[in-house]
Amino acid sequence: MAENNGAGKIPEMRDAFGSALIELGREHANMIVLDADLHTSSKSGMFKKAFPDRFIQVGIAEQNLFGIAAGLALTGFIPFPSTFAVFATRRALDQIAISICYPKLNVKIPGSYVGIPTSRAGASHNCIEDIAVMRSLPHMRVADPGDNADLRAVMQAAVATDGPIYFRVTRLTLPTLFGADHTFEWGKGVVLREGGDVTLFGTGMMTARCMDAADLLRQDGIDAEVIHLASIKPIDADLIAESVHKTGCAVTAENASILGGFGSAVAEVLGERCPVPLRRIGVRDRWIDSGGIPELLEHHGMTPRDIADAARDAMRARAELRARTGKVAP
Amino acid sequence: MQLTPEQYTQLENAAYHIRRLSVEMITYGKWGHIGGSFSMAELLAVLYFHHMTLDPARPLWEQRDRLILSKAHGSPALYAALALRGYYPEEEVYTYCELGGLEGHTDMTRTPGLEASGGPLGMGLSVSVGIALGLRYREEARPRVFCILGDGECNEGNVWEAAMSAAHYHLDNLIAVVDYNKVMAKGFTWQLMSIEPFADKWRAFGWDVIEIDGHDVEEVTTALYQARWVLPRGRPIVIIAHTVKGKGVEMAEFNYQWHTHAPDPDTADDMLRELARRYGQPINGYSRLAQQGHKERFYGGE
Repeated sequence: MAENNGAGKIPEMRDAFGSALIELGREHANMIVLDADLHTSSKSGMFKKAFPDRFIQVGIAEQNLFGIAAGLALTGFIPFPSTFAVFATRRALDQIAISICYPKLNVKIPGSYVGIPTSRAGASHNCIEDIAVMRSLPHMRVADPGDNADLRAVMQAAVATDGPIYFRVTRLTLPTLFGADHTFEWGKGVVLREGGDVTLFGTGMMTARCMDAADLLRQDGIDAEVIHLASIKPIDADLIAESVHKTGCAVTAENASILGGFGSAVAEVLGERCPVPLRRIGVRDRWIDSGGIPELLEHHGMTPRDIADAARDAMRARAELRARTGKVAP
Repeated sequence: MQLTPEQYTQLENAAYHIRRLSVEMITYGKWGHIGGSFSMAELLAVLYFHHMTLDPARPLWEQRDRLILSKAHGSPALYAALALRGYYPEEEVYTYCELGGLEGHTDMTRTPGLEASGGPLGMGLSVSVGIALGLRYREEARPRVFCILGDGECNEGNVWEAAMSAAHYHLDNLIAVVDYNKVMAKGFTWQLMSIEPFADKWRAFGWDVIEIDGHDVEEVTTALYQARWVLPRGRPIVIIAHTVKGKGVEMAEFNYQWHTHAPDPDTADDMLRELARRYGQPINGYSRLAQQGHKERFYGGE
C-alpha cells in the first residue's frame, strides 16, 4: 500500500465511524444508536458516551436489534442498529427485509468489521456476502466508503435520505483519498485518476489498492483510470459506461465476495450497456479462514499486484477481441 | 368488567362480521388463513370496538393506541376489523390478494390502520418493543402498544429475545396478546413443538400474565382493562387468550387443514350460513353477495 502522509495519525475507520455518529447525533436529536454487545469494538460506544440517553443496548440478540430499530423508526426516530456485518446479514436478514426494508423504514444499518480485515476471527466473522445480500433487497441503498472522509459523507447522506440504508465500516486504517470537504451523492462515482488503457473500479477499502495498482501499471507505461464507487446501489451506470467506452476493459475490486457483490453490480451494467472484458478482484467463492490481514489479502489475490495483473489480463482479452472482430471500440 | 347488553351485542356482532368478511375475502382472494383469522375475531372486536383509543380519520394520530399483528397471516380478520371500524370502505376487502389490492400479509405502506408490515413469524413483538420504547422517548404516556402473537410463532427465538428486552426495559406500555388457538400450520402445537408451560415461560421472562377464554368478549374486555389500569406498573403484560383455531364453523375448528386454505364458493356459502346461524344473524350467505353484485366474481373467473 502506498505511503500516506501522516498515515500513523489516521484513525481506524471504526473510530471515524464513532466520531461521525457523535457529529450526526449533535445535529439530529431524533437519532438513536442501538447495539448488540459490541459497542467497544464497533465504536458505537463513542456515541453512548456522548449521548447515553439515546443509546439502547439489546444484548446478544440481533433479530431483536433490528425489530426494535423498526419500531423506533415507526415512532419518528432515526435508528442506527449497530452490529458486525455478518450478524446483520446472516442472523437478522428476515427482520431487515420485512420489518425494515419492505415498509421502507428510516433505518441506517452500519455493517461493522466487513471483509478481510476482521482476519483472525475466521470464517464465521469475516463478512463477504453482505453487498450481494443487501443490494438484492428492494428499497435498500448500499454504500462501501473508501476512507474516513468518505464514511462521514456517506453517513451524512444516509441521514439526509429517507429509507433503509446499509453501509460498510471496516476495522482497518485506510489511506486518505479525500479531503475534509468531500461530499457523497447516491449513484455518483468519483474519477480519482484518469487514464485511457483500462478502468479500475474500486469500492470500499479496495479503491486505495486500485490507486496503488495504477502506480504499478504506470511503471509499465499503462495508464489506468481509477473510479471509486462508494454508492453500490444505486450505482453510477453512466460513469461506468462512459469510462469503459474509452478504455475498453475493466477490473473491479471489492473487500467482499465477487459473487453477487460489487463486481457483479458493475458486470450487470457492462453486460447490459457496453460489454467489455472484465476481471473481478475479491473473495472467490471461498470462506475467509483465520489469518493476518496482509497474508489473507495475499492468499485471496487482493493485493495491488493482483489488481495490476488482472488489468493486464483484461487488456490482453481486449486485444484478442479487437483482433478477432476488427473493431477498435468496445 | 361488566359490559352493558348493548355493548355485549355490539362486540358479538363485530366478531361475527370479522368472520364473515374473512370468509368472503379469502374466497374472493383465493388464498388466506381462515383458522387463524377466526380464532382472534373476539380479540380484534374488543380491541377495535371497545378498548383501543383510535381515530380512523387520523390513522397516524400520535395519541392513538397501536396494534401490531405479529401473526400477520391473520390479516383477513384485521382487514375486516379496520374496514368495519371505518378506516376504509368495506368494499375494499374484496381486493384481498389482488394485484394492487390488500396484501396477503400485511403491508403498512398500502393500508391505513396497519402499524407495521409482517409475514414471517416471530418478528412483531420486537417491532412492538421498539414502538413502546419510542413512545417512552417521546414521553407519550397514554398510548398502549398491543401485539397479537400466535401460539405457534412462539416457537421462534425472536419472540423470546423481544420478551427478554421488554422486561429489561420495564415496558409497561406494552401488552402482548397471544391467540393461543392450539393449532399450527400442520398439526397441533403440542404435537409439533410444545410451548407449555406457557404462562410460566412468560412469568420467568419477567412478564405479568393474564389467562382468559379468548372467545368470551366479557373476559377479553376485563383482561384488557386489568392490563391497562389495574396491574402494577413497571412490567410488560401478556394476555394468554385460549382460543379455538377456526372457531365459528365446525369443519375448520381445531383443523389444521384450514390453516391456509381458500374455500370454494359452495363451501364458502355453507360457512357463511353456519356463521349466521351460530351468531344469530340473518341467514343470507351467498344471496347477500348476489344482491351486492358480487355473484359473478364470487362464482366465476379463473
